[in-house]
Amino acid sequence: MSNSPAPKPRKMFFREAIASAVRAAMLEDPTVLVMGQDVGSFGGSYREFDGLYREFGADRVRDMPVAENATIGIGAGAAAAGFRPLVCITYMDFLMLGFDPLINYAAKLRYKTAGALTAPLVVKTTAGAQGQGVAHSQCLDAWLMSVPGIVVAAPSNPQDAFSLMAQALRHDGPVVYIDHKRLFPSPGEVSVDAGLQPFGVAAVRRRGEDVTIISHSYMVQVALKAAARLAEAGISCEVIDLRTLAPLDVDTIEASLRRTGRLVTLEEGQTTCGVGAEVMAQVFSRMGPRPFVRIGALPAPVSSNPVYEALCIPDPERICDAVTALLKNAPPA
Amino acid sequence: MIYHLTVPKAVPGVEEIRILEWHGEPGARFEPGDMIVELETHKAIVEVRADQPGFLRMVMGQPGDWISIDDTLAVFSDAADEAVPADAKDYSELTVAFEVT
Amino acid sequence: MTPLDPFDRLRALRSMMQIRAFETALAKRKDHGFQLLSSGEEAVAVGLSMVLRADDDLLTGGRSIGPALARGVDPGALMAELLGRAAGLNGGRAGRGHLSDPRSGFFGAHAVVGGNISVAAGVALARKLSLSEAVVVIMFGDGACGQGVLHETLNIAANWRLPLLFLCNNNGLSVSTPWDAAMATPRLSDLGATFGMPATTIDGLDVELVASTAGEAIAAIRKGGGPAFIEAKSIRLRSHSTTARETRTREALAELETHCPISALAARMKLSPDEIAELQRTVDGAVDAAERFAEASGYPEPGDVLTHVQ
Repeated sequence: MSNSPAPKPRKMFFREAIASAVRAAMLEDPTVLVMGQDVGSFGGSYREFDGLYREFGADRVRDMPVAENATIGIGAGAAAAGFRPLVCITYMDFLMLGFDPLINYAAKLRYKTAGALTAPLVVKTTAGAQGQGVAHSQCLDAWLMSVPGIVVAAPSNPQDAFSLMAQALRHDGPVVYIDHKRLFPSPGEVSVDAGLQPFGVAAVRRRGEDVTIISHSYMVQVALKAAARLAEAGISCEVIDLRTLAPLDVDTIEASLRRTGRLVTLEEGQTTCGVGAEVMAQVFSRMGPRPFVRIGALPAPVSSNPVYEALCIPDPERICDAVTALLKNAPPA
Repeated sequence: MIYHLTVPKAVPGVEEIRILEWHGEPGARFEPGDMIVELETHKAIVEVRADQPGFLRMVMGQPGDWISIDDTLAVFSDAADEAVPADAKDYSELTVAFEVT
Repeated sequence: MTPLDPFDRLRALRSMMQIRAFETALAKRKDHGFQLLSSGEEAVAVGLSMVLRADDDLLTGGRSIGPALARGVDPGALMAELLGRAAGLNGGRAGRGHLSDPRSGFFGAHAVVGGNISVAAGVALARKLSLSEAVVVIMFGDGACGQGVLHETLNIAANWRLPLLFLCNNNGLSVSTPWDAAMATPRLSDLGATFGMPATTIDGLDVELVASTAGEAIAAIRKGGGPAFIEAKSIRLRSHSTTARETRTREALAELETHCPISALAARMKLSPDEIAELQRTVDGAVDAAERFAEASGYPEPGDVLTHVQ
């Protein structure tokens, strides 16, 4: 171990956090590959793979044709045969095209071979609505939570973007790593020496006493904005960032809810069978029900129309209204 | 006259950018069309070019520094030796052209 | 076509007879579950296996028992796997649809029609990047030829010159659909030719022809020539699966029987009835041993149901 001091945290773009983690893994482990559309000299649609093609070459950083099914299948097969592919699916909406190799093969490989084969495959995909229309806006995060055999990770900030990616590229099974279009503009401090971020550990982003807000990905940023506004109105919100949806850190959720007594779940995806539904079911089965509200997208496709998109996606105002109403119906004892 | 160069709202949704490279030092003269500075957003590089002649007097950050939209990046003057008042509220807005690459 | 030497011919015949005997015994059992059998198609898997090296990888679809046996998977462990016993190849968890024995060169079956094709290309990519000389073979049926992922994978494999042999076992039917009702191309090997790889259609009932064609293709792939496509036309003597309805007439099936690849090779070798009976006894004995091994093994522990999920 080196005796030199740990490098200081450095402020960087969200995309740079991802590129740093992938680069570090590629330097340390020659079996790490990157595959996807526009990941090569273009550096990724969000420049999240900037510099990797120049440094590691076409063998390890491979541009793919538009063929999500085969791309994930090839990643899964290469993983089963000893490599660690990172497959990039630019829009989460198109992850569906590769569900067969991801879910029918990769997720089940360890189980069906009784551990003899595994598929250490990372599928990175970008979710979220930002003016691009009904088929380029979805957050399907919850769909993946119920697939036995996969980890579902969703960073909300550059540090976790780095650490969760570092962890994912060392995990011995499939990981779906979900980032979000609206996370890319916001820089943040990243300590590359912070090491890996174990899966299944949520983070308390803001301490509070009156209500527990559970969220993940970009909605954590929106929750924090809402919490700041609510604080001005005298309402104290605890904001918890799940970091991973599977495994889910129910311990942290429970500890918070036992203190605040009120639960708000917030996601950009649908509330029907959503992340919030699962959070509620799991925490309530441990401690009994508490007053709650689930916040998510309106039950409609998310159009590129600016009026409709803004209505569909939760914003600080909708969150503040929901929290205020919840406290009105369930006032402090 | 004293001018300040503020961070352009070049890319929608961007609140913070990073200074990439200055193309002149304090004391340098710029003509319209000259590149003053390159800035990095999460997506692209913004090239900021002078759209009026002037002298660069102060830079408010170095390459690698972060700066928010609407903050002052640099101070310019019409004449090379004009006194630069401490109070920025007297500054005018420097006219620039920017290009997102 | 280069004929196999007498020793290899005997091995090929015995291997095909082994498959037939194994599957016949399996189908007679009340506890066999749901099976897809290779009756009439044995020459494709056996011909291929004659020319594979120990470090080559074979992947298949759901019609996996014949190919697994041809590749050299242990019949006892295979029978145990098919009967869901703990001593099975995969602890009884995979069954026919997903069995896997990489150490024998049988990387795995996958029951999703066409689902293993891109996986095989991934394995081929891994071998290529490891600078291995191994060749990967993906066997699939005419039924898989409509799948988009086949076309996606043909394209990428050709572009990347992957060491991958696409072996299409065209037994003429996808459950009830004749291959030429489903597919627009005159030959299924046209699918490979479209992407610029060497592609050929052969008689899949002639085990020696399969062996020599596959041998040539694999030798070229091993030298870095990129992927190839072989369509081997076989026959399906039974219905699609042990539970699928048979759609053909008794007369049609009787006619098909006259093209049995096992009988054809035995006739070509001019074996006497006694010699054939002796071979039959050998393979039946091996199947018997396999069944007894499987029956002696218990079922997996209920307590292990949640192991190896992640």
